[in-house]
Amino acid sequence: MEPEIIEAELVLPTHFSFKRVQMYEKYPKGQARGRHWKHLKQIIQAENYQNYPPDEPNYVNIESPPPMRPSKRICDITGFEAPYHDPRTNLRYANTDVFKNIRSLPNEYVQRYLALRNAAIVLK
Amino acid sequence: MPFISKIQRQSDYTLFDSTTPIVIDNGASYFRIGWAGETDPRVVFRNIVQRPRHKSTGETVTIVGDHDPALLKYFDCTRSGPRSAFDSNVVYQFEIMEYILDFGFDRLGAKGSGIDHPVLITECVCNPVQSRSKMGELLFETYGVPSIAFGVDAAFSYKYNQLQGVCDKDGLAICPGFTTSHVIPFVDGEPVYSGSCRTNIGGFHVTDYLKQLLSLKYPYHMARFTWEKVEDLKMEHCYIAQDYVAEARYFQKGAKEAEEKTRVWQLPWVPPPLEEPPSEEEIARKAAIREKQGQRLREMAEAKRSSRINELENELRGLEFLLQQLEQVEESKIPSFLSDTGYVSKQEIESARAKVTHSLRKAKGEPKSEQVETEKADPAANEKYSLINIPDDMLTPEQLNEKKKQLSLKSMSEGRQRLKQKRYEEELERERKQQLEEEKRLENPELYLENLRAKYKDLSERVEQRKRLKTNGSHSNGNNVSGGVGRGERLNAAQRERMRLLTTAAFDRGKGEDTFGASDEDWQLYKLMSRDNDDDDEGPDEDEVELARISSRLQDLDPAFVPKSEVGSSQPAEVPRFRPLTKEDFQIVFGVERFRCPEILFTPNWIGIDQVGLDEMAGVSIRRLPYKDEALEERLTNSIFLTGGSSFYPGLTERLEAGIRMIRPTGSPIKIVRALDPILDAWRGAAAYASASQFHTQTFTRMDYYEKGEDWLRSYQLKYTL
Repeated sequence: MEPEIIEAELVLPTHFSFKRVQMYEKYPKGQARGRHWKHLKQIIQAENYQNYPPDEPNYVNIESPPPMRPSKRICDITGFEAPYHDPRTNLRYANTDVFKNIRSLPNEYVQRYLALRNAAIVLK
Repeated sequence: MPFISKIQRQSDYTLFDSTTPIVIDNGASYFRIGWAGETDPRVVFRNIVQRPRHKSTGETVTIVGDHDPALLKYFDCTRSGPRSAFDSNVVYQFEIMEYILDFGFDRLGAKGSGIDHPVLITECVCNPVQSRSKMGELLFETYGVPSIAFGVDAAFSYKYNQLQGVCDKDGLAICPGFTTSHVIPFVDGEPVYSGSCRTNIGGFHVTDYLKQLLSLKYPYHMARFTWEKVEDLKMEHCYIAQDYVAEARYFQKGAKEAEEKTRVWQLPWVPPPLEEPPSEEEIARKAAIREKQGQRLREMAEAKRSSRINELENELRGLEFLLQQLEQVEESKIPSFLSDTGYVSKQEIESARAKVTHSLRKAKGEPKSEQVETEKADPAANEKYSLINIPDDMLTPEQLNEKKKQLSLKSMSEGRQRLKQKRYEEELERERKQQLEEEKRLENPELYLENLRAKYKDLSERVEQRKRLKTNGSHSNGNNVSGGVGRGERLNAAQRERMRLLTTAAFDRGKGEDTFGASDEDWQLYKLMSRDNDDDDEGPDEDEVELARISSRLQDLDPAFVPKSEVGSSQPAEVPRFRPLTKEDFQIVFGVERFRCPEILFTPNWIGIDQVGLDEMAGVSIRRLPYKDEALEERLTNSIFLTGGSSFYPGLTERLEAGIRMIRPTGSPIKIVRALDPILDAWRGAAAYASASQFHTQTFTRMDYYEKGEDWLRSYQLKYTL
């Protein structure tokens, strides 16, 4: 290791005196561990919230509801108010200049713009 | 306000009594650790872990938090990026969490065996019990912590500010955080979680949105938009518009207000060195070289030509000699004589001679004047077509054949003659016209030019019109430049008609009586069906020819004339590919983005999150409260408290006030206050709370944890008022 790295103590040591179980004991090297954690979705599923009283607050039911008012539609490219919608690319646009622009956009970019508002086609 | 991490190792760890709690604000973006009762956390760093490989030794190392990027050059960071222990705001990867805690305790100066201090650590609102118990396990088992307390960061911040007199005991805490935003109502100084609500949007999304937008807008500078840089840009430039649509309209119109609000980030740019025009000598030298090369080529061509002429002459001489010899040979001996030479008959030799003479003439550069030939042919015509005028019945069959041949030959040559004549006449006509025009022009150049322009305009419009008609609307979409009929492209009128005919032909069989072919016109259908029928294949029509002529003439006469490019109307103007890059190409312009990105806090829908924004969340939260007490609701809205990392945007308070006013009954009091320090107050509140004498009543030990079980842990909740 280069001296400046040691100087800055950049790298986390593997052994700490204040730990009862060291990292290398918990996760021994060279052993396939697989995934030992759950995604948030799995955690929530495992919580079995449906078994608890519904008026008790929990991680799922404190989530906000969908909005009552329809949100304003904005142009995907410029951010201006977008009265129009292009049926071919599904992009929203503000005026003819933007329309010309989106029609000349390669598909990859169209998909990236759509992905911004989670409307892109996702192949599984 | 770029963030600077505080990671110096503290040396006074041993000075603290083992009853002094350690306070950790474990936020999704930053990890803060320090001692209860102090005003500032001792150690602060970004809550991320990187596990790159050391380039020279190849071992995988762990790096926690943000470090000097200059030091990271020794590591190969391409395999794995920075990782967070958080999913939304819930800790789910405890291996990463452990690295972070290691680093945090280490920098706090922890020594000895185990952390012998109570720990107060923050978590999200209604943390799933799995995450809570794993965290407890980690702290108890691995670090030997004697007791733990879990609290909510926003609540600590609210309590801290309540103590400072910023907000009341009844109030609404709005906390736009890093990955989520919460609204928590406080009644009598205690948070009421049943009335809280969470929208999964926060500073992370704002930064990410800005990053994506910028890299889509400036694909060439994508590498510049690192997470850290964009985060800085966001903190420095983003603001909340009071009325998004109105603000965007300013920018759309290019109003003065918009110009003032547009910020420009100039990337480092060095003007390319100017190319000096070549000097006189250089030009002369180059010309000389070119001249020399040309000379050499010419000489080579000349040599080749003379050698070919020589060759041909030799051949010709040989052939002539052969013919002479042939004349002396007796008729009967000809075949045997010729068998040596490789020719079969005298005619063949003669034709070979003619060919050679012809190519010789060509090689010598003599004009192969047809005129001469035809002239020559004329007197000989009668002789050549000797049989034509003799009636058929007077000829032998061979002669008849001969006559047919002669007839066709004659008609062909006559046709050629006629065509030539016609061309000549056309030439004359054109010249005459040109002369006429020239005269007109000389008479009154101004008027002439005017007329020409008018004519040009008229014609170009007509041609355009025709094109439009032909493509029938598809000219407008700009994708049809290739002319190909791709997927989803509209066919032009002729192509459509052809398709219609084909489909009718294919599917209209057997309906009624088949009368196809009864009249001759029916067969015209095939002509219409054939692909050649497409108008595109026709040459340029008269109008187009005329247009080309006029435009060339205008170009000659009028220096200001620029011909409308043929594609002009149908193609979007494309940026010329090869143009020197200018300073402007290295400028990143923030216009609408400045307020478009933080606007997603109010309309999460824009990034595909179908939940209410900050202002409506306040309404939802009040509605969820079980009390239904108007006086309480008024007290709540009279003390709306803003904390969390994303509450720094200018204009946020005003916008929130306007938004909440809209959903509350008229006349209800609304007061919005910002935390004294929206970022650090959570830790400060927690530190103050942990230093209280009653703190130990709120903690639980390892024994408690294992005795009482998970169900107890699930309902575990601090009392924030001690």
